[in-house]
Amino acid sequence: MDLHFDNVIPHALNDIQHKENSVWGNSFTLKKGEKIILNAESGKGKTTFTHILAGIRKDYKGTVQINEKDIRNFSLLKWTELRAQQLSFIFQDLQLFGELTVQENLVLKNQLTHTFTNEELKEMVAQLDISEKWNTPCKLLSLGQQQRVAIIRALIQPFNWLIMDEPFSHLDEKNRNLASSLIQNRVNELQAGLILTSLDENNSVKMDKKLYL
Amino acid sequence: MIGKILFRKQSKTQLYIAILGAFIGFLFLITSVHYLIRINEDGKNKDVLNGKAIVVQKKVSSLSTLNLIKTDFNSEEIEKLNQQDFTQKVQPVLNNNFDISIQTDSKLLPYFRSDIFVQAIDADYLNVSSIEWNWEENDEYVPIILPREFLIMLNTFANAKGLPQVSEELAKSVSFRFNLSNETNETSKKVKIIGFTGDISSILVPPSFLNYGNEKFGNHKSLKTTQLLVSIHEGTFGKLEKHMQSHGLEAKESSLVIGKLISITSSLLLFSMGISVLIIVLSSLLLIQYTQVLIAHNRYEIRTLLRIGYSPQKITKTITKYFVNAIAFTASSSYLAFVFVKITIDKKLLESGLSLSKTYTFQSGLALLFVVSIYLILNYWNTRNEVLSSEESRI
Repeated sequence: MDLHFDNVIPHALNDIQHKENSVWGNSFTLKKGEKIILNAESGKGKTTFTHILAGIRKDYKGTVQINEKDIRNFSLLKWTELRAQQLSFIFQDLQLFGELTVQENLVLKNQLTHTFTNEELKEMVAQLDISEKWNTPCKLLSLGQQQRVAIIRALIQPFNWLIMDEPFSHLDEKNRNLASSLIQNRVNELQAGLILTSLDENNSVKMDKKLYL
Repeated sequence: MIGKILFRKQSKTQLYIAILGAFIGFLFLITSVHYLIRINEDGKNKDVLNGKAIVVQKKVSSLSTLNLIKTDFNSEEIEKLNQQDFTQKVQPVLNNNFDISIQTDSKLLPYFRSDIFVQAIDADYLNVSSIEWNWEENDEYVPIILPREFLIMLNTFANAKGLPQVSEELAKSVSFRFNLSNETNETSKKVKIIGFTGDISSILVPPSFLNYGNEKFGNHKSLKTTQLLVSIHEGTFGKLEKHMQSHGLEAKESSLVIGKLISITSSLLLFSMGISVLIIVLSSLLLIQYTQVLIAHNRYEIRTLLRIGYSPQKITKTITKYFVNAIAFTASSSYLAFVFVKITIDKKLLESGLSLSKTYTFQSGLALLFVVSIYLILNYWNTRNEVLSSEESRI
């Protein structure tokens, strides 16, 4: 599953002069299995980039293709199928259900594909050191703990691409390493591609390619 | 789990009002449809005459006795009546112009003989089949419909002779005989009573028998039409009555009362049905609004479900299922309430002397099913649109 960008420029960034090697206004293809970091300062369009790939934003010119098909033409049903089976996301605002417990948030996602057993979910939660929060509503967790729940939720589905928008922004070094390890193992297991947006390059995940905004 | 997310924030007051409205609307609708059918059936089944028509004749006055006013209808008068907006169909009642008498032909009844007057009307106006209401020259029996007054007269006669009285059922099983004659010929035919009428005072025979008698034994004078069968459109009885008053016409009082009662009751029930439909429409609007508010309160939850991969169909199905359960419960409750209402109304009607069929009309159930289906289709359509618009992309 390849992702192809052809002269894409978000309307909001149309008036800005982009660098020659910027993803905006250039054509390039991201191959499945590649590990890509998108490193840029705030306001350059990192979240816009992930939202375009998630089908949430269509306010851009140019075309984005998934498997040679223009994503603008995908129906909402098609997007939900892609999000359940092929594209997995960690959004910057996490998008957890605050009223639901950690367990319920993970089970809700796992019910779509039944990829893992309940025990395996617990094991992943233990790996990121939040076992004691298993039955705690997410709204009562710290941002760092919520971020870890969102990371696990993104990993418990089948995917060809894992797209993460600043996933470690609230994690300390220890937890960043734990999360990076879990992500890398799952991505390697599935031979999937990975796109990570970050303010800095300190993420502990080994990357193949770097993109600029 | 999706249900837990979506229905957590709801304020149920508006839902309860919508459900209560739907309950009242459904109950009124079932009751109106049921009694509209039963009242009309009752009016039609009281008599062998099927209620599609009323027998109309000219009023007899001193002037008509002196032959100054005719009591028969000419073709222009018939046509004029036929052209009225309330008229469906007008048909003359055929009369005999030959001598005919009826006599008992059974040991169960005392010998009785009387000259009579017979008339013929089509099977369309009777609660008998066209096969039963048919006669051919070689048939064993002539089927007849007897006026109830005739049986009363027969029973008065039997009573005077010290003999047991005859019920309608027994009268149907005993034999009578017609004697047809003119100055030169005479013949006798066995007859069989197939029903009774309170609307016509003469003995009714099939048109084919009357034609046979008029042809073989008639005096060959032209036949006069003194009575008409007039069928009218539903709920136009008042117009017919007004027309009859202004044109010096009359019908039998019992037919008038029954017709008037059916007409008034039907209009009232139709009005009640209209009100119930209005209530149902209002409650469904309330329910649609409630769904919209529910979805608006859960905009984030629905959008997040879509973003983690839940299909719009799955979310729509979850919300719709909730309302299907609520409406199914309401519809079942309203039907159950109707069962109790029906028992009460039937009891009151019986006390007032009106005995309707106790069975439930399938049309009332069908009406309920129809409005519930419309209700659910509207709700599904509204929910689907609201869910789809929850993830409106920035275009």
